[in-house]
Amino acid sequence: MRDVVAVLMAGGVGSRLNILVRHRAKPAVPFGGMYRIIDFTLSNAANCGLSRVAILTQYKPLSLMDHIGDGSAWDLSGRTRSVKILPPKTGEKDWDWYKGTADAVRQNLDFITRGDYKEVLILSGDHIYCMDYAPLVRFHRDRKAHVTVGMLPVPWEETQHFGVGIVDHRDRVIDWQEKPRAARSNLASMGIYVFDRKYLVRTLHETKEEDFGQHIIPKALSEAKVYGYSFHGYWRDAGTIQAYWDANMDLLDPESVLTPGLCTVRTNHATERMYYDRPPTRVVDRAEVTNSLLSPDCTVLGRVQNSVLSPGVKVEKGALVKDSVVMHDSVIRSGARVERCIIDKEVIIGRKAAVGIGNPSVPNATYPTHVYSGLTLVGKRALVPDNALVGTNCIISSGVQEEDFRNGSLQDGQTIEK
Amino acid sequence: MAKILALILAGGRVDELDVLTYFRPKSVLPFGALYRIIDFPMSNLMNSGVEKVGILSQYRPLRLIGHIANGQPWDMVGRDRFATILPPFKGREASDWYKGTADAVYQNIDFIKMNQPDLILILSGDHIYKMDYRALIDFHLEKKADVTIGFTPLPKEGANRFGQATIAGEDRKGGRVTRYVEKPKRELLDWASLTIYLFKPRILYEALEANATKESHEFGKDIIPVLLEKHKVFGFKHYGYWGYTRTLDEYWQTNMDLLEKSPRIDLASWQVMTNMADRNIRDCQPTIVGSAAMLEDSLFYSGCTIKGTVIRSVLFPGVIVEEGAVVKDSILFFDTVIKKEAQVIRTITDIEAVVGSRVKIGEDSSGALSVVGTRTSIPEGTIIHHGVTVHPYLNGGCFSKSDYAPGEVVK
Repeated sequence: MRDVVAVLMAGGVGSRLNILVRHRAKPAVPFGGMYRIIDFTLSNAANCGLSRVAILTQYKPLSLMDHIGDGSAWDLSGRTRSVKILPPKTGEKDWDWYKGTADAVRQNLDFITRGDYKEVLILSGDHIYCMDYAPLVRFHRDRKAHVTVGMLPVPWEETQHFGVGIVDHRDRVIDWQEKPRAARSNLASMGIYVFDRKYLVRTLHETKEEDFGQHIIPKALSEAKVYGYSFHGYWRDAGTIQAYWDANMDLLDPESVLTPGLCTVRTNHATERMYYDRPPTRVVDRAEVTNSLLSPDCTVLGRVQNSVLSPGVKVEKGALVKDSVVMHDSVIRSGARVERCIIDKEVIIGRKAAVGIGNPSVPNATYPTHVYSGLTLVGKRALVPDNALVGTNCIISSGVQEEDFRNGSLQDGQTIEK
Repeated sequence: MAKILALILAGGRVDELDVLTYFRPKSVLPFGALYRIIDFPMSNLMNSGVEKVGILSQYRPLRLIGHIANGQPWDMVGRDRFATILPPFKGREASDWYKGTADAVYQNIDFIKMNQPDLILILSGDHIYKMDYRALIDFHLEKKADVTIGFTPLPKEGANRFGQATIAGEDRKGGRVTRYVEKPKRELLDWASLTIYLFKPRILYEALEANATKESHEFGKDIIPVLLEKHKVFGFKHYGYWGYTRTLDEYWQTNMDLLEKSPRIDLASWQVMTNMADRNIRDCQPTIVGSAAMLEDSLFYSGCTIKGTVIRSVLFPGVIVEEGAVVKDSILFFDTVIKKEAQVIRTITDIEAVVGSRVKIGEDSSGALSVVGTRTSIPEGTIIHHGVTVHPYLNGGCFSKSDYAPGEVVK
């Protein structure tokens, strides 16, 4: 894998994740207790022996840059190993934001032409999956392909959300449909491409096309050898609130085969703003914890059911956390009830407050396409006052304080902005 | 600030801990669901701004070397910061194993002199406590002491294990040591030595030179009583928690002090650091608690899978407790597996031990502790009464009986 350079696309806004991406890029969104979404792709890359990785960022890159650090958390640092963050830069002519995935790579062609690489592996930092890229690269070389697309069989009803490839009996892609209404195949593109480097460089020079899925792949079909490599395993784009919650819940489902520990997903613990190690998790008295994932440094005196807890979460006596994702250092005070919530970092849920309980058929009034399935979002460092009643499909923005709550409650589908 | 060089005496194994120290010095004995005992003095040093540390080891140092690594977990890497392991070495004339605590320091006197410290802080690697050594150092400088020793009020039990002292005056911080007796048979004086020594270098060099020709070379027994006669020896009083780990019972109790609502050891405020790369702790996923699990007053880190019942116990990363299993009043080291419907009470299991299904170890709330050595696999259905020692690396064939009486040793 030494002669493959990996380019990880991490510039997406991921706006459908709503308040989870107000202050961070989608790949930096915490996931599964102690990970961030990008950890999966980055660990995949490191675990299969890739030694040169570029990460293309542009949207709110601070927490991402912090998280990547010098790459040593993934053993991507040293004389022969590196991970580089490549933000957009001012071109010779004008200020050039990345206009799409292909454009982002075009603006960084110097990085992929600098070394003596045979292939360029394009990855997306948005997806939750464990995959060994070595067989994909071998497949690409065996077929003497110009481009190989990583493909995943998906249920037919979901094909409309993907680029779909129609392949022949030798896995050659003979046609392509981008987000089709009537799909002719259920092999969806995972946003993973192996390019013959010479072909990629030439194509990016020759054209001004901006996106791999929409432009470069369809163009390649007519002029080059494009193959589809089928991946069978857990894969999910946690790009919507519902999908993000589902993927977290998959961690609790033994049938889902999503076990980050088994495929050695690594994360960077050092980015937390504490210099000592998080102490062990403590269960006090007879806490009732069932079917849940607990990170270090949690303190549980209450009940936790079907939930994913990040490091430092406190669940006080008599509190209930059910079907929820609770991120770092949030506190659920005594007697509070939290159901079907995604709670960002450092949130306080006041005593005897009830959050996420209501009628799920009322979608969020402000963001009906983001929050509609009976989930409630609480933003970073928000405070839900004691005894507050917050319905479902609600959004409480980051930093909301007691005075932002009118009469202490929030009806189903309501939002508090800050 | 004065230039401090710290030395940690981390080489010993302790007979009372038996199989737990077969393959490691006591200083790297796992403690508190995540740590090794030496993490406590190391973290205290870092939190006190002492960043030059020599660690004296001789007994089975491999695990210690791996754990300390290059000192980076405690930020002791840099131009003027280090954590160096100091093994015994062959001198010009003979191969000299350390013949006691004082001898271990004496053999490394070149290392000490090379660093030209203003003060030398000598610690032992086998206590669980939080201390800001700067308070001790300030006290030492303020009193213009030659030697300052850390003391704690003498515990009622096992007083014969300590060096005991009388500290003159009523000062809360400490005072001149007027009398010192090493390990008297009974409760004699008010203060127990914590084996924390702060020396003026010249005083230490002279004392070690003078001791070198003697038969016995221990700080408590041979050095301190002699110094008391001629030099200004002060006692610094420590009032906080002090956890011993010398015997199985002490070690177990110190772990249990981490539990319950207001634990005596408040790890969250102690700011302890460990080497998260050791046994790849940092790569463990969060702990999975199953649908039928029952948890009560327990401590665990990442990488565990808990499907059974865990009561008043401490679980290190990678421990698996299967369905129907009960773990009570126990300490399970890294990657221990408790199979279905096994029952483990008042037991310490070493790394990668496997307790077969329907095995019963120990008895409820009484009886001596049992110990299961590393990588031993206890066959299904075996009954083991309290106080049994099961040696490391045993497999099914080594268990000739299906029932072991209290206090038996399985080899």
